[in-house]
Amino acid sequence: MLQNAWLIPLFPLLSFIVLTAFRRHTGRLAAVIGLAATGASLLMALMVFAEQWQGNSFKAEITWLEIGDKIITMGYEVNPLNALMLVIVTLVSFLVHLYSKGYMEGDSRISVFYAYLGLFTFAMLGLVLSPNLLQVYIFWELVGLGSFLLIGYYYFKPEAKAAAKKAFIMTRIGDVGLFIGIILLFWQTGSFEYDEIFKAVANQEISQTMITLTALLVFVGAIGKSGQLPLHTWLPDAMEGPTPVSALIHAATMVAAGVYLVASAFPLFEASQTALTTVAAVGGATAIFAASIGLMQKDIKRVLAYSTVSQLGYMMLALGSAGYTAGIFHLTTHAFFKALLFLAAGSVIHAVHTQNIEEMGGLWKKLRLTGPLFLIGALAISGFPLLSGFFSKDEILAAVYADGRYGLFVLALIAAFMTSFYMFRLFFMVFSGQPRSKQDGVHESGWTMTLPMIVLGVLAVVAGYVNTPWFGTFLNDYLAQGPVELAHEHHGPLWIPIAATTVSLLGILLAYLMYAKKSLSRDWLSRSFPSVSDIIYNKWFVDEAYEATFIKGTKAASCGGTLIDRYIVEGAAEGTVSAVQLLAKSGNKVQDGKVQTYGTVVILGLAVIFAVVALTGGYFS
Amino acid sequence: MSSMLLTLLIFSPLLSVLILLFVPSDDEKTLKMTGVLGALLPLIAAVTAFTAFDTAESGVQLEEVYQWITYEVFQANGELNYSIQYHIGADGLSMILILLTAFIAFLASIASFSIKEKLKSFYILFFILELGMLGVFSAQNLFLFFVFFELTLVPMFFLIGRYGYLNREKAAWSFLIYNGIGSAILLIAFVALFMKSGSMAFDQLKAVFALPEADLKEMYLTENFRMGILIAILAAFAVKLPVVPLHTWMLRVHAEAHPAIVMIHSGILLKIGAYGMIRFGLGIFPEEFKSLAGVIAVLGVVNLLYGAFLALSQSDMKKVLAYSSVSHMGIVLIGLAALNEYGIQGAVFQTVSHGLISALLFFLVGVLYNRRGSSQLHDFGGLASQMPVAAGLLLAGGLASLGLPGMSGFISEFMAFLGLFEVMPVTAAVGTIGLILTAVYVLRAVLGVTFGRVKREGTVYGADMTAAERFPAFMLLAAIIIIGCYPALLSGLLGATLESIKLGLGG
Repeated sequence: MLQNAWLIPLFPLLSFIVLTAFRRHTGRLAAVIGLAATGASLLMALMVFAEQWQGNSFKAEITWLEIGDKIITMGYEVNPLNALMLVIVTLVSFLVHLYSKGYMEGDSRISVFYAYLGLFTFAMLGLVLSPNLLQVYIFWELVGLGSFLLIGYYYFKPEAKAAAKKAFIMTRIGDVGLFIGIILLFWQTGSFEYDEIFKAVANQEISQTMITLTALLVFVGAIGKSGQLPLHTWLPDAMEGPTPVSALIHAATMVAAGVYLVASAFPLFEASQTALTTVAAVGGATAIFAASIGLMQKDIKRVLAYSTVSQLGYMMLALGSAGYTAGIFHLTTHAFFKALLFLAAGSVIHAVHTQNIEEMGGLWKKLRLTGPLFLIGALAISGFPLLSGFFSKDEILAAVYADGRYGLFVLALIAAFMTSFYMFRLFFMVFSGQPRSKQDGVHESGWTMTLPMIVLGVLAVVAGYVNTPWFGTFLNDYLAQGPVELAHEHHGPLWIPIAATTVSLLGILLAYLMYAKKSLSRDWLSRSFPSVSDIIYNKWFVDEAYEATFIKGTKAASCGGTLIDRYIVEGAAEGTVSAVQLLAKSGNKVQDGKVQTYGTVVILGLAVIFAVVALTGGYFS
Repeated sequence: MSSMLLTLLIFSPLLSVLILLFVPSDDEKTLKMTGVLGALLPLIAAVTAFTAFDTAESGVQLEEVYQWITYEVFQANGELNYSIQYHIGADGLSMILILLTAFIAFLASIASFSIKEKLKSFYILFFILELGMLGVFSAQNLFLFFVFFELTLVPMFFLIGRYGYLNREKAAWSFLIYNGIGSAILLIAFVALFMKSGSMAFDQLKAVFALPEADLKEMYLTENFRMGILIAILAAFAVKLPVVPLHTWMLRVHAEAHPAIVMIHSGILLKIGAYGMIRFGLGIFPEEFKSLAGVIAVLGVVNLLYGAFLALSQSDMKKVLAYSSVSHMGIVLIGLAALNEYGIQGAVFQTVSHGLISALLFFLVGVLYNRRGSSQLHDFGGLASQMPVAAGLLLAGGLASLGLPGMSGFISEFMAFLGLFEVMPVTAAVGTIGLILTAVYVLRAVLGVTFGRVKREGTVYGADMTAAERFPAFMLLAAIIIIGCYPALLSGLLGATLESIKLGLGG
């Protein structure tokens, strides 16, 4: 089975090709084609995972490009980490395909939508299967393309256009870092292969500075894709895409690719303390920064987007604290509960046709399935005991604590408090109380939409039990089978889960008091710290700062260049032309046909020659 | 028969010229058919030549040598025999560019359908131009190269000046003057080389300049002389490539000439600049080229960034693409400056890849111009709703241009940078800013046209692309994607040639 793993990404690619070529003729069939393709991939991924579970790995490559005597290969590899990722990606993709059938009902470009979904799924699976960094980069860019196309799916909306462009450019900035990192690693180790690179790192064939530099450059790529500080601004804007897309790409899979990349290149990071500290610091800072913005957003999807950024920060924090298992664990549970939250949010939006939470309220009774499912997601992400997020978050906190990063540990706790607060602010504003706007014909979504949510809801509850201190650390044992010894189990002191739970319950309680029971005024905090709340409300003015510096700067350089091109370069050319013309005109004047002038010139010339001959002694030498 | 293959290939466009002479100039249908079939002929010949070409073997193949001009010069130390031969042949590099020429010329002949007037003389000039281009890449001595090189200038001058947009005549003059100066410099360099070394054949020149320093001194081929000639040659081809600040003529040509001509110009003629630098610069003067590598790398980065920055604020799509060409030619310089297999292969890939991509993009702009009567960005928007196929192709072309993996542009950029990072990591790192800027200006232009809403109420772009318009576009896109997904196709052809260049560089 493992040797057939290359078929997994192929099915969605086929779906993309078929749907693009016959987009006029597929119509309602589009969803069926997409579902069949991802369903096939899901089945195969499960089989591969089952076989991998028994400890088999597989790798195959073909020649892709020859440069001199260097052969660059492409291929695929199955190891514990990517077998797990295959299942996550195909499962979420399949569920999103199904959900979209209901959500996108009646859209005239449905074939295009499913084609793009297929393209994205193909790229994401290709990325996961890649055995070398060059191939990772190729698919890395292609998932970016899928994301770009889907964000811009409503191409006629100016916001969607701007968001798509922004997403592409911001991630490209990160990608260039990765690009340089890969090239430098190649010159250091002579290979793009993970195995070779890790071997070189282990044998200390690379200098410490180079290890740090390349690890940081690779991390820059991860920053771009995973929306970490300071390249996070594209991810909230990416919510312009259809909601199923947000669930698939901007919650569960692509944005986690950065985390996945750091995890796959972990031996490189592990070799440099500086790199690890940077990863942890960026992750921790992002976690609290994004969570703080999430506190005040009014758009249901944007709250979730900032929450995603924040949770990705958590994962980075875990990896940076040497919590390999913790990072992957949280990636897994987050994929389920965040996808669930997005799909539930989509179900809400589908019902009330607005994304503004100020206009919602009182939906608990009307959406009898979506409401409880959203609650499960919210509890899971808040780390409510016994749900999946509880275990993975605990694992992260334990790892950070064990690594001795106490400052970041405190930050992570505060971020956990903010998380449960903004999630329940969202929950209460959407589902409790009375409707704050006219809501006509609100009804629960059809089975194609609710079924994926139910599946994810179940997973959001139980996924945590793959790695618990009580029932066994299956995930850790499984990941530990990898080629390099990476997975470490962190057993923190018992007070950590208690503290985390307390903090999270406090967040929920505060949200309850402010938004459900309303015994606290909604703006008691923002009134007490007006300037702080202003900054947070405006997302720390990051977009404005970039606008004022980088964008303005580039535009100025461009305009300056245009002026140089027009006046200096072109001017010099024109100048040369006029100089030649001037010369020609003066030449004309000499030949004016007046014999007297010619005679004078001849005599004068003769005189000069005589003078020169006389002075030089009669010889030219 | 097979020994004449290359000659037949080069002169195959002449047949079409002959036929065209007998076609009445108002019989548009026959003219078009002759034009397309006439361009198909060299393509078939090129593919045939390719099948006869052994990729495993290094060196020149399909060679033909005939004595042409011989004359004797009496000098104090005896009499010297100068001879000039008709000598053609192809190595991997030539073969690739011949295939590219025949392919793009064929597609351009279809793209010429939108020309309504003077179609007959258009195709006649077109075929003479194609003859010249095929000859340039097959010539194996300086004289023949120069003859073919000049042969491309003349028809091009008329093609720009007679078929195009408003300021086409000024563009044609600009083209002629810049390229004329380039040719003059090239001629001087070639003559000097001939007089001093007594040979014009590439292989003999290569052998002469590979001699030990002492022997070269004896032949008065001093280091200064060699450096001077190399700089002259590089300067001449820098006009062609073009290298900033010698690029302004090319902007005019790209903005004013007919799209079919721009396809050829941007797709092939600019590539003569890269070809000349590789063939004469690297091929004959590897040692001297090495000492200039730093300068060339900097020029490459300047080209890359300058073009990208300027493309960012252009309001005319054709200007965006023109500056983008300037930027992309920077990649060629970057690759050459690396002087390793990675870089040089990247440079060659870039010439091919940019040939395909710019041909595609200029063609699409031509298609849009035909419908809208403008190529100004502010006249467009929301194209995707009315012309989904054109919009999709434009997006695909744009993505190829910004180096999306899976398309040819990525391979060449990647290899060029990979090469340069080995020797000049800092310069290369500065150059990577260009990769970001490229994404910015490409998306600005492409999304400005295809996404959003129609700028002015009631704008109707007209019907989506016709079959005759789709064919060239999809062919180009297919080539771009095939090379991008499986670059070994091209690299296999180049391997042996690169090996010989590497030998010249001393490993």
